[in-house]
Amino acid sequence: MKIKNFLKDKILQITLILFGLVTIEIFLLAYTTDNFIKLYIPITILSLYLISIFVEYMRKKKFYKTIYEVINELDEKYLISEVVDTPNFFDGKILMEIIKQLDKSMIENVNKYKYLMEDYKEYIEMWIHEIKLPIASGKMIVENNKTEATKSINEELDKIENYTEQALYYARSNTVEKDYYIRKCNLKELVNEAIRKNKKTLISEKISINSHDLDKTVNTDSKWLTFILNQIIQNSIKYRNKASKSEIEFYAEEGKENSILYIQDNGIGIEKSEVSRVFEKGFTGTNGRTTNKKSTGIGLYLCKKLGTKLGLGIELESTKKEGTLVKIVFPNNSYLNIKS
Amino acid sequence: MQKILIVEDDEKLRDELEIFLNNNGYQAESLKQFQNTIQEILNIAPNLILLDINLPEANGEFICKEIRKKSNVPIIIITSSDNEMDELLSINYGADHYITKPFNIQILLAKINSVLRRMNIGLAQDKIIAPDFTINLSKSTLIKEGKEIELTRNELKILKCLNEKRDKIVSREELMEYLWESESFIDDNTLTVNITRLRNKLEELNLKELLETRRGQGYILKISQ
Repeated sequence: MKIKNFLKDKILQITLILFGLVTIEIFLLAYTTDNFIKLYIPITILSLYLISIFVEYMRKKKFYKTIYEVINELDEKYLISEVVDTPNFFDGKILMEIIKQLDKSMIENVNKYKYLMEDYKEYIEMWIHEIKLPIASGKMIVENNKTEATKSINEELDKIENYTEQALYYARSNTVEKDYYIRKCNLKELVNEAIRKNKKTLISEKISINSHDLDKTVNTDSKWLTFILNQIIQNSIKYRNKASKSEIEFYAEEGKENSILYIQDNGIGIEKSEVSRVFEKGFTGTNGRTTNKKSTGIGLYLCKKLGTKLGLGIELESTKKEGTLVKIVFPNNSYLNIKS
Repeated sequence: MQKILIVEDDEKLRDELEIFLNNNGYQAESLKQFQNTIQEILNIAPNLILLDINLPEANGEFICKEIRKKSNVPIIIITSSDNEMDELLSINYGADHYITKPFNIQILLAKINSVLRRMNIGLAQDKIIAPDFTINLSKSTLIKEGKEIELTRNELKILKCLNEKRDKIVSREELMEYLWESESFIDDNTLTVNITRLRNKLEELNLKELLETRRGQGYILKISQ
């Protein structure tokens, strides 16, 4: 708040005061001969006025300065009314009152959407809960009536199951509240679980598994991590190189600060210019368009998002026509920097 | 025959499970209504219970807890909820396993088998006695008339799988899935090698004619004449 701007704002007041003083002076000059009174009255009035303007300026300056400072420091700027004290001058009080009302109305509005989202998430979770039953029944019917046709139906049921799971984790990835539990897990068990989950396709597509050095302990949520691994394995299956023998290799390295899980395949790889974009939502790239695979661009996006929530680093390297390497980095002290 | 009780409110799943378990050598029964569940379960006195959590007029976790007070019968929870807290709660209430829908039916069967085997200690828990040979699971050997031959982990599993489906054709995929289930992620070539080795070992015990290859279909372990 510059003094110039402040004075500009007071221009009418100052003009009127000066005009008043000039008028008084004219009267004084006309009716009295006492020099003391001629000088004393206008000087007193003027200096009293200047003092009052100066005090007002200082008070306002202090208040607006704090407001600006606080607002620059605050991450959530709408909390300003909670942090700054109400000033003792009138228009400052009005301003704070307005800010408080705005905040209240904004928070109510945001809460409304929070509630709607929460409600929607609950519905999705319930829906997924429900849809699992017919999938399970369908699979049992297939098991009891094995023919070529039901085998094919089973494959479709597997796809439905996968898409359903993806939807569930998508809903979970968008909520603020924490619905995962970080604990010590054996990496080998988690990887094996994810491999087993995909065994039907891996076996029928004759994809070899080479897993070694996995007996390590990591801090993570077992269900979420299995989901992430599942998505990565499914990508390896989807984008395998059909011209040669496919293989997926799993291994881990333990470092001082973190453990890294490597998942290497010898699939068709990703265009160099596209590697940096694979974690973007909805990004399908050349492979998604040309391999006739109906990419959704959700899988890796979700992996990254869930990974970030769990405090994991997920990186991807790829060479076209040679294969793709996915690295999952588990910090050793992940309980210290888990993002909520 | 071992009696398995299915406590599940979805009719279709219940019926199909019943058919499946009956086909796989168990006597399966199921509850049709859930008013007096705990007493009914205790009256039926099954060897194992498959229990759903969300039941009309009852809660699986509560049933589990109440049954545990009176009986040691193995309980496998089958539910749609893949929430870790539910799992923890069920296990704390005394459930033996927790399986989420849609489940892999072979895993369910394997879990039923292993739980029942553990319950019936003394009933050849580490030996499989077939009419023409014996498999010693703990020593991983194949025995016939006093002669004993060592089997590798994979050979043992292959023989076990073929023996469980005696006189039925088992496809290569089925064999591989069985091996993958126990975390031997072998590929096609390794399976061929393992089968050849197993066949050689069977030959040493004059059992060669038991294991037949059906071209394009798989393998079959026949019943000896």
